[in-house]
Amino acid sequence: MAFDPLFLINVGFYISFAIVFALLAIGFNLQWGYTGLFNAGIAGFFLIGAYTAAIAITAPSPPATGYPGHLGGYQLPVAVGAVLAMVVAGSAAALIALPTLRLRADYLAIATLAFAEVVRTIAINLEPITAGTIGIVGIPRLLEFSGPNKPYLTTATIVGVGAAIVLALLVALHFIVESPWGRVLRGVRDDEEATMAVGKNAFRYKLQVFAIGGALMGLAGWFSVMALPYLEPAGSFAPAVTFSIWVMVIVGGAGNLKGSIVGAFVVYGLEWGSVQLKDLAPPELKDSIPYIRLMLVGVLLIVLIIYRPDGILREKKRVLR
Amino acid sequence: MNAPLPEQRILRVQRVRKSFGGIRAVDDCSLSIAAQSITGLIGPNGAGKSTLFNLVAGLYRPDGGAIWLSNSRIDGLPPFEIVHLGLTKTWQIPHELRNMTVLENLMLGAKNNPGEHLLNILVRPRVVRREERAWRTRAREILRLTQLGGLADEYAKSLSGGQKKLLELARALMTEPAVVLLDEPVAGVNPTLAASLMDLIEGLRQAGRTFFLIEHDMNVVMNRCDRVIVMHQGRTIADGTPASVKANPAVIDSYLGG
Repeated sequence: MAFDPLFLINVGFYISFAIVFALLAIGFNLQWGYTGLFNAGIAGFFLIGAYTAAIAITAPSPPATGYPGHLGGYQLPVAVGAVLAMVVAGSAAALIALPTLRLRADYLAIATLAFAEVVRTIAINLEPITAGTIGIVGIPRLLEFSGPNKPYLTTATIVGVGAAIVLALLVALHFIVESPWGRVLRGVRDDEEATMAVGKNAFRYKLQVFAIGGALMGLAGWFSVMALPYLEPAGSFAPAVTFSIWVMVIVGGAGNLKGSIVGAFVVYGLEWGSVQLKDLAPPELKDSIPYIRLMLVGVLLIVLIIYRPDGILREKKRVLR
Repeated sequence: MNAPLPEQRILRVQRVRKSFGGIRAVDDCSLSIAAQSITGLIGPNGAGKSTLFNLVAGLYRPDGGAIWLSNSRIDGLPPFEIVHLGLTKTWQIPHELRNMTVLENLMLGAKNNPGEHLLNILVRPRVVRREERAWRTRAREILRLTQLGGLADEYAKSLSGGQKKLLELARALMTEPAVVLLDEPVAGVNPTLAASLMDLIEGLRQAGRTFFLIEHDMNVVMNRCDRVIVMHQGRTIADGTPASVKANPAVIDSYLGG
């Protein structure tokens, strides 16, 4: 088998989407792994970030026949799109948090799951803003290249910028969660009542971390349209996305930021890898690959929960000196 | 002859009520606690003692009545505000923060720790570190005092039942409380440790703190408390010195037994 140069681009695609999932997983890890808030609407905040970014940075939609057009044409710089995606998704998280964070954990999960489905249904149906199921096309790239190496340069830029963002976040968030502030989050997770009884306003901390997590999911939305400059609402933001992120955080290790990155690369790696191996599979199995993949994820989860219940990178003990 | 000075009442509960469904857990209950005292609260199971503690600490909101901590009315305030006014509680079943170390459990109790505000972490990291160091020194003192010094870096979940009781008290002390409500502080604690725990509480009382404790261990109640209040069916039925309460027919009838 000759080496296919397109394979490099394919690997780049894998890394960029693993980064998208890592950002989502870090956001969820802050909410659940550190604070115990079970967000079942990850896909909703992801969607809000993606659409906010796409609408902010895309040129006016071309007048093609049958294309409904979408809100936009602002052509803002892509970096501004990132900031807006974080602000809008973070604000949405704060808004949904205000009435629901006072509820018990199971109600929070139901409320956020419903929220994400409402947001997705709106994106599918509100054609003047989102172009409906046709989706938003022509989203600009991080940098525009030309010439024969364009695909490689584009992919390399996305991977480089994504890796830089993840590393910067890792450093910044470590600083924040390993502070006294982060300690209160873990107190709320372990026993909210006891944390209140030693003088902490638990609600304030839950609201803050829910908004920060939501903003990171918004950033993931922005990065996803950088990695793939096309946006459609039906499949990309289905509840299955939320469930995958749960698996990634559990596999990687809740309460460990690096674990979220490892979990994203491993779990998405199974999915991506199984697609790559499709050509090697016997023809009669080819159509079954997606299902085999799901089975693999299930087996991985079961094995892990039995042999390494705290995840690949478990939460570290904080020994204070 | 001079009239005796009235004792200063640091905590006053006035006609407080709380129902759960059809059950009146606390029913028109009034009592008051003298500053720098150790006051015991006894009564049969279901008398409303723990509910009363939760009402005072702000974990439940009363249906009626008033609660005063010194000159502040605290009923209906959220628990974290009540802690800041100087009152905290511990639980009958320890509420340790399982996946945090013993030292971290204490550090969470630190009062007005600037590092607990996001903005300070980013803008005043030096102040945050300095305050954190100061609180850590204080936490280690309290750990020594409560005989938990050697366990500072163990996970709270790995402590024994008795050690968790000590941890509850230690964490409560970090909030620098004027008044501590202790829900069965020596239940499940071995007699030797229970005695030294009560010695510690006595020492803290002499240093100015006030203790209000629910306890079924009559040895503790009769020998360690200045005053004993008896609750039955949601209200107080007796209030006095341990000896007078012990001799009270209503108390013998409902709780102590003949």
